[in-house]
Amino acid sequence: MIFQIALIAFSLFGILHVSRQYRSQKVSVYWFLIWFVFWLIVIAVALFPEATDIIADYVGVEKGADLIAYIAIVVLSYSMYRVLVRLERMRQEMTDLTRKIAIEKEKNNET
Amino acid sequence: MARYNSNMIVAIIPAYNEQGRVRVAIKDAARFVDRVVVVDDHSTDNTLSEAKDAGAIVLHHVINRGQGAALQTGTDYALNILDAEIIIHFDADGQMDAEEIPMLIEPILNDESDIVLGSRFLNKKANIPLFRWLILKGGIIFTRLVSGIKVTDTHNGFRVLSRKAASEIKITLDRMAHASEILDLIKERELRYVEKAVTIKYSEETLLKGQSSIGAIAIVKDVIKSKFL
Repeated sequence: MIFQIALIAFSLFGILHVSRQYRSQKVSVYWFLIWFVFWLIVIAVALFPEATDIIADYVGVEKGADLIAYIAIVVLSYSMYRVLVRLERMRQEMTDLTRKIAIEKEKNNET
Repeated sequence: MARYNSNMIVAIIPAYNEQGRVRVAIKDAARFVDRVVVVDDHSTDNTLSEAKDAGAIVLHHVINRGQGAALQTGTDYALNILDAEIIIHFDADGQMDAEEIPMLIEPILNDESDIVLGSRFLNKKANIPLFRWLILKGGIIFTRLVSGIKVTDTHNGFRVLSRKAASEIKITLDRMAHASEILDLIKERELRYVEKAVTIKYSEETLLKGQSSIGAIAIVKDVIKSKFL
């Protein structure tokens, strides 16, 4: 019961936050809608957890809660991979920049 | 200064906190090459001024990027600004013997090789501490598995590259794993390579300062990461 209330409160906070972001034009209408629908789904799941069992059963997982946990792990793993790739690219860009500065400075006798 | 068939020969010395040693390395190398390029990898000591005083061309990294990155910076400069024909990778810590440079250059001058790799294991007199020996042998097996290239010493920093090899080998692994990357690229680009016996002098000071054996783990990690990302 406490967990459900916390989840709903968190989702409402999420909706509030994304609405503010939308109003101050920090996110596009497209992303506003995606996040809005996402938080609505979270609220729906918090209110009627049994509903997820139907979907879980359909894809061959025993419980809805398990299904959500599995999806979360997959999504998080993928996000982690994306972050690592981006980090790697940034590392390379930083090295390229450092190299460029080093060579330019020598060319201009500034070392 | 020596000239071989009027080729521009450039030694690249990556240096990170090599105060007190870098001067000797520069003077040593300068006897056998046309230009010495020191890449100061954002040292916190007097490496930069010492290298300049010793007469080297000094490139300065505004942040520390690692030995691999420093070598590539030196290579870019040597190829594009100095128009180098032959590039030598040389260490700043005095572990290498510059007198071996002419012998290492030979196969490139004779157009027998694109890259010459120094190997401390071809030299029977090599005086390598046992633990270091074990780590290095492990590295050889690892490289054989990953790169599929057969060399006797994978992490020896003493190399000579022809202009062709230096242009084809672009180091992207900034830290110590660049040695494995170079071997990878030799195989991938089908460059002609040969190993030559070199002497690596181990002293307490260089052992403390140089790659720690724990560093081997970081190398393996970087190599594996580079295969996935």
